[in-house]
Amino acid sequence: MSHSKLAGIFNKDEKKVDWHDKALWFVRHKRDLSVHEVKGWEELRNLGHGIKAHTLSHLDVYLEQFEANALKNGVQVHWAANGDEHNQIVHGILKENHAKKVVKSKSMLTEECHLNPFLEANDIEVIDTDLGERIVQLAKEQPSHIVLPAIHKNKLEVDELFQEHLGTKPCNGDPQYLTGEARKHLREKFIHADAAITGVNFAIAENGGFVVCTNEGNADMGAHLAAVHIACMGVEKIIPKQEHLGVFLRLLARSATGQPITTYSSHFRKPRKDTKMHIVIVDNGRSEQLSRPDFRASLHCIRCGACMNTCPIYRRSGGHSYDATIPGPIGSILSPGKDLTKYSTLPFASTLCGSCSDVCPVKIDIHTQLYKWRQIIGKETPQPFIKKKSMAAMGKIFSKPSLYGKVGAVAHWALRTLPKSLINSWPNIWGKTRDLPVGHKQSFDQWYKERENNKKDDQK
Amino acid sequence: MKVGLFIPCYINQLYPQVGKATLELLEKLKVEVVYPSGQTCCGQPMANSGFENESEGACINFVNNFKDFDYIVTPSGSCAYHVKKHYNIIQQTDEVVKVRKNVYELCDFIVNVLKVKQLGASFPYKVGVHKSCHGLRGLRLGSSSELVTAPYSYIEALLKEVKGIELMTLDRSDECCGFGGTFAVTEDVVSAKMGKDKIQDHLRNGVEVITATDVSCLMHLEGLITRNKQPLQVRHIAEILNSTIESKVAHPKGQKH
Amino acid sequence: MDSRDTILKKLKANKPEFIALPKINLDIFDENIDMVKEFIRKVEVAGGKVFEVTDNKEVLSKTQEAFPDTKVNFTNLDDSGFFNTIDYETLKNPHKLNDLDVLVLESTLGVAENGAVWLTDNDIPVRVIPFITKHLVLVLPKENIVPYMHQAYNALDPEVLDYGIFISGPSKTADIEQSLVIGAQGAMSMTVFLV
Ligand code: SF4
Repeated sequence: MSHSKLAGIFNKDEKKVDWHDKALWFVRHKRDLSVHEVKGWEELRNLGHGIKAHTLSHLDVYLEQFEANALKNGVQVHWAANGDEHNQIVHGILKENHAKKVVKSKSMLTEECHLNPFLEANDIEVIDTDLGERIVQLAKEQPSHIVLPAIHKNKLEVDELFQEHLGTKPCNGDPQYLTGEARKHLREKFIHADAAITGVNFAIAENGGFVVCTNEGNADMGAHLAAVHIACMGVEKIIPKQEHLGVFLRLLARSATGQPITTYSSHFRKPRKDTKMHIVIVDNGRSEQLSRPDFRASLHCIRCGACMNTCPIYRRSGGHSYDATIPGPIGSILSPGKDLTKYSTLPFASTLCGSCSDVCPVKIDIHTQLYKWRQIIGKETPQPFIKKKSMAAMGKIFSKPSLYGKVGAVAHWALRTLPKSLINSWPNIWGKTRDLPVGHKQSFDQWYKERENNKKDDQK
Repeated sequence: MKVGLFIPCYINQLYPQVGKATLELLEKLKVEVVYPSGQTCCGQPMANSGFENESEGACINFVNNFKDFDYIVTPSGSCAYHVKKHYNIIQQTDEVVKVRKNVYELCDFIVNVLKVKQLGASFPYKVGVHKSCHGLRGLRLGSSSELVTAPYSYIEALLKEVKGIELMTLDRSDECCGFGGTFAVTEDVVSAKMGKDKIQDHLRNGVEVITATDVSCLMHLEGLITRNKQPLQVRHIAEILNSTIESKVAHPKGQKH
Repeated sequence: MDSRDTILKKLKANKPEFIALPKINLDIFDENIDMVKEFIRKVEVAGGKVFEVTDNKEVLSKTQEAFPDTKVNFTNLDDSGFFNTIDYETLKNPHKLNDLDVLVLESTLGVAENGAVWLTDNDIPVRVIPFITKHLVLVLPKENIVPYMHQAYNALDPEVLDYGIFISGPSKTADIEQSLVIGAQGAMSMTVFLV
């Protein structure tokens, strides 16, 4: 379904839209307060951008360096060309260790690879341990935001879900009580887990270590209790040196929630005694994205979610309207690289207002990339005949003043010259919620000509 | 200094008063203005819809019409931005480069080229500024709320000098209104919701007249305002800067729509 | 060719021309903050508490005052026999630590700009305990507070680290309707004693 259709469904409940909009705007507001406290914030963004751009230009070298160092640290490294291979590798590691119960902390990559259903089909229990992710997992839904996965759910819905699945008492959606119950439920899972899966926020080439950021402490609870820790990362998570964490950790949490740093920033480098640590490095389309000069900067993304919080469309259409693992502005420039036809409406789910590009901590030119995807979609995907025709007609009229002049004289509105079916649909859709402009008897053109003629007459 | 005036197609047909106000204002400022009759459209509607290639003819026509002027001025931040940013699809001849460099949105031109702020206007109303996105984040006519920079706004700098005006502060200083060209139609539900919310922000803060550098945003907002019978007016910034209304009447400038 | 080589080959072929690594000029960020004051403010913003004390003895007595009726306590501070209710051997079976009430650990590095306190394997006898404990108490020498994350990383040798963590405040979540709840999966409270 197109973004606009799904957005339409989300907008059936205007109160919910208002709540969603305000909740996310508040996060954006907290981000503003927080970044305004940082001297040199824009310089920090420049550095974030520059370090990522450099890293991409040297990516293969840094990955090899990372791998060599990780191996030295006693960590096993695996490479997956795509989601399927990633899932096979993870499953293989679990099988080898007779792991039947797995706890997982937030990882958009494993969502992208659809790891959970794959493992479940292989008789392995996977529990998402981030509270928001656990909520959507229980509801059998997808996260609707990369930092706030359950932002589309209200507390009464969570209350009901927990009653059904965790046996909680009805509590009118009391967040304190519900979080406490989830804590108890997840503690059990942590203590009995055979293996823990985490994502990776940053992987450090120079020492083979990696950093995972959480507020709940769930990544650490999982990784330090289970006998096996599997960390899954996209190839773009690499940074050259540990000192670069200074830049990225200052940018990440402030942009995400307005916190100066996440509660926990865990630096993993060597496994605990008698346990195993694995890293799975995944491509899954990233090397193709790297080959596209106009779009490769999308790989700078540090997944802070700020572009979602700021996006006036995202706030009013909900994350699920993007029907993709990564929703919002960044998702709309990543997804078409994976499947141009399926995601062809996403680059149009934007007014190109540019707020995303200004908020992005690593300065991805998101709205420019949206514009560029539109051009590719216009050329390469099947377009409605009528749209193609009308664009060609418009292009022709606007290229020749003589044509334009004649047309202008007949119609008030340039668009009236377009094929009938389109003319009819335009004002109709516009007019569903808005009045059409009234227009004037005399166009500016005519007025100006009259004025010039009068001037000439005066001079005579 | 010879200035070519570019009036976008929808202003020409639907909001001619904005074109007139722009022309009169520039003439008041002693600028020699010519309105080339061969002009059509900057090409943005096609380009933003993903048909940049179909807009090449429009781009070339634009350059041909305006290549001989020192400056090109338009009462549309969006069109100026489009010429500056997206005319890289045609061959970059000296003429094209010159046109892209010298095209200005009206306020930008007044503040940064003419370097005047006091225009002798008077407009005794409570005004809310809608900072159209292409002007704000494209042309940087002001500081956007996302960036950590010293705050400034060319538009407000000019409006502050207008006699009798009261500039109202909004809860969300620079949120998009939801027009977005074809977005207004392809994503009509979200577009209308964004407009409604924007209007509420102005109403909550006691605004009587919404102004902007772009008629397109105002057309969208006005469509919603009239449909919902809300007590608000829209005026393009040229109309306010060219206004000489001394005392308040119900419909400023008598322009009843 | 296996996936490793395929991926690396593709990345090599597809990457842009070399772009130089930017230099980080720390002067841009410096604003001469009062580091202790800023540190205290940021820990409190993160939901933690800070006390200034004179020595480790005071740390433990104040901790006992703050958490009077706890059953299971552990610290690796010197001369703390009276405080500990479990020994190091018990810690070795972390799956049984779910009832750990108070844990007191020493840190060697804190960051003013965000109230983060650094711990490594050297400071933590068993990795999971700062998370599984109900209350986390950290002791930090005032002079070990640095202004920004940049200085923090400059103080850390990338080659010697096995595991390390910055902790800023207690575990928290806002995943239910954006209401902040302290005590998600990790510690329910965090107290820092500056010595
Ligand atoms: S694109 Fe930028 S703003 Fe959006 S999630 Fe990624 S890093 Fe954050």
